[in-house]
Amino acid sequence: MSDEHELRTPVSLSGLAANDPHLQPSARNPQLVEQVISVCFVLGALCFAGFGACYWIDAQPWKLGATMGGGFFFVGVGLVAWGKYLMPRGPFVEDRHTLANSDADREAFAAVIVERGGGVLQRRKMLGGLLGGGLGIFGVVALFPLLRSLGPLPKTTLDTTDWKKGSYVVDQSGRRVMEGDLAIGSISTVFPEGTQNTDRGQAVDQTVLIRVSNEGFTTMKGRESWAPKGYVAYSKVCTHLGCPVGLYEQELQLLVCPCHQSMFNVTNGAVPQFGPAPRPLPQLPLYIDSSGYLRSQSGYHEPVGPGFWERS
Amino acid sequence: MTSPLFKRCFALGVVSLFAFGPAVLFVGGAQASSTKTTPYQTTRKNAGTPNSDVVKKNSDGVIISYGNTAITYNAPSTALATLGDALFQQNCASCHGTQANGVPANGTNGAYPDLVGLGPATIDFWVSSGRMPAANPRSVEAARRIPRLDPNQALAIASWVNSLSPSYPYIPDPNLKIAKVSDGAALFALNCASCHTIEGDGDALALSTFSPSLRHIPAFQVAEAIRTGPGNMPRFTGNLSDYQVNDIVKYVTTEIQHPNNPGGFGLGGLGPVAEGFVGLALGVGVLALVGFWVGERD
Repeated sequence: MSDEHELRTPVSLSGLAANDPHLQPSARNPQLVEQVISVCFVLGALCFAGFGACYWIDAQPWKLGATMGGGFFFVGVGLVAWGKYLMPRGPFVEDRHTLANSDADREAFAAVIVERGGGVLQRRKMLGGLLGGGLGIFGVVALFPLLRSLGPLPKTTLDTTDWKKGSYVVDQSGRRVMEGDLAIGSISTVFPEGTQNTDRGQAVDQTVLIRVSNEGFTTMKGRESWAPKGYVAYSKVCTHLGCPVGLYEQELQLLVCPCHQSMFNVTNGAVPQFGPAPRPLPQLPLYIDSSGYLRSQSGYHEPVGPGFWERS
Repeated sequence: MTSPLFKRCFALGVVSLFAFGPAVLFVGGAQASSTKTTPYQTTRKNAGTPNSDVVKKNSDGVIISYGNTAITYNAPSTALATLGDALFQQNCASCHGTQANGVPANGTNGAYPDLVGLGPATIDFWVSSGRMPAANPRSVEAARRIPRLDPNQALAIASWVNSLSPSYPYIPDPNLKIAKVSDGAALFALNCASCHTIEGDGDALALSTFSPSLRHIPAFQVAEAIRTGPGNMPRFTGNLSDYQVNDIVKYVTTEIQHPNNPGGFGLGGLGPVAEGFVGLALGVGVLALVGFWVGERD
C-alpha cells in the first residue's frame, strides 16, 4: 500500500449520486447534455434513413457518401459526448488480490516438474526429423511458382520489331500514309501495316512519324536517305523505361517523354539532351514508293526500348 | 618541310576563299529563300484545305468557303480588310512589321514571325484567344488571357493579313451535331492527351514551355488550334480528317469542359496529388481536431 493509494478515494462504480464529486460537472444537470446528444442521435438516424433512401433510388455517389458519412458522424459525436459529459470521471480505484500463488502451491508444482518431468518431457528424434523433412519439402516446392513466374525465355523477341523491309506505314486506323498527308510540323503515331490493332504492335512497333521539312532530311551522318521529303520516324518507346514518347514540341523540335522528362532532339537523331534516357531513340529508315506510299527500308537497326540483360 | 609550291597554293586558296566566299553565301541564301512554302499542303481530302467536298467561290472565282458536313471553313469578309489594316498597324506592326512580314519598323530583322501566308485561322486563333497582342513579346510562350480585341476585330486583322497573300486554312465552323463523342475521346487520348493530359488541364513541357488548359475555349478555337498548330503544338493536317477533328472538338467542348465529377468536386482534375493534398489538409486536420476533443480532459 503506497502513499499514493491513500490519497485517492476509492469509489464504487454503482450507485453514483447526482451530487457525486466524481461526476462531470455537466452531468449534475444532465437535461441539456441529454438533449444535445438526443439531437445528434436523431440526426444520425435521419442520415442513415436518407442513405437507405438514396441507395434505393440509386442517387449520385456524393449523396450516398454524404448521408452515410453524416450518419456515422452524428452518431459518433453523440457517443463521444455521452462518454465525455455523462459518465463519471475517475480516478477509480479497485482493490485486487495478490497475483502470486501460495508457497505450498509453488513448491508442489516445482516438485511435479522435477520428479515426473524427466519421464514425460524427452526428445523425440524421429518425429522431429519427420517434421523437418515435411517442412523442407514444402520449402522446396514453394520455390516452384517463383521459377515458373519467370516465364518463357524471350529469345530474340526483344531485338526485333515487326518493321520489315518494305512495310507500309499505317496510322492507328490502318490507313496507309502517303507522301502528301502530313504538313510540316505534323506528327502521327504509325505502325507497320497489320499490327496497328495488336498488343505487340502497340507496345513494340509504335513509331512517331514527324514531318520536319519538304525535302530529304539528314538527322545523322550515314542516314542521308532515311527521311525522304522530311518524314522522320523514331521508335515511340523510350529508351529509359519504355513509356510512349508522344510529346512533340515543333518549335523546339523536341520529343519529350511524359514519364521522366527525357528530351530527344528530333533534328539530331533523337539524341537525348536532357533526362535519364541513356540512348537515342532508334530511327526507322523510310522511303517513298512509286505510288507515293511511305514504307520502311528495313527494320530498326538496333533493339527498341529500354535496355535488357543481353542487349548487345 | 613546306615547299614554295605549297605556300603558293595555300595563299591562292585563302585569296579565292575571300573572293568567292560571299558569292557562295549569296547563292545559298537564294536557295534557302526559294524553298519557302506554305505549311498547309496536305493532299488528303477533307483535311482542312480546299481539297474538300464542298467549295464555294464568289463571282471573281475566289474561294470564300470550303468544307464538308463536319467542318465548314469560311474566309473572313473582305469588307473587314480596311478595318483590319488599321487595327494591325496599331496593335501588331511594332513587332511584326507594317507588312506583317516579321520585320520590325526600325528596319532590323526581329525574332518575330512572318505572318504572310499563314492563313486566317492562325491569325484569328492568336488574336481571338487573347495571346496576341502579346503581354510580353520576349516570353517563351504567350499565355492565354482576356482578349484585347473583340472577335470581329480579330476577324478583321485575319482578313487584312489574308489579303496580302491568300492562304489556308480559313476559319473553321465545326458542326457538332453530327460529331461522335466516343470517337473524339479515342482520338483525344491518342493525339492530344500526351501533352494536354487526359483531363485536358494542360501541363508543363520542356524548357519553360507548357501546354495550356482546354477549359473555357470555344469550339472554333479548338478546331483552329488543331489545324494550325500554334506555337509548340504540332499541326494536325492530313493525319486527322475534318470528321475526326469535329469529333475531337465535340469531346473537348462537352466531356473535357463539363466533366461529370462523381464526387461532386473535381479538384481541377489534377489527380492523386490534388486529392492527396485535400485529404491531408482537410481530412487529417479535422480528424486531429476531433481526436483532441475526444481525448480532452478538463
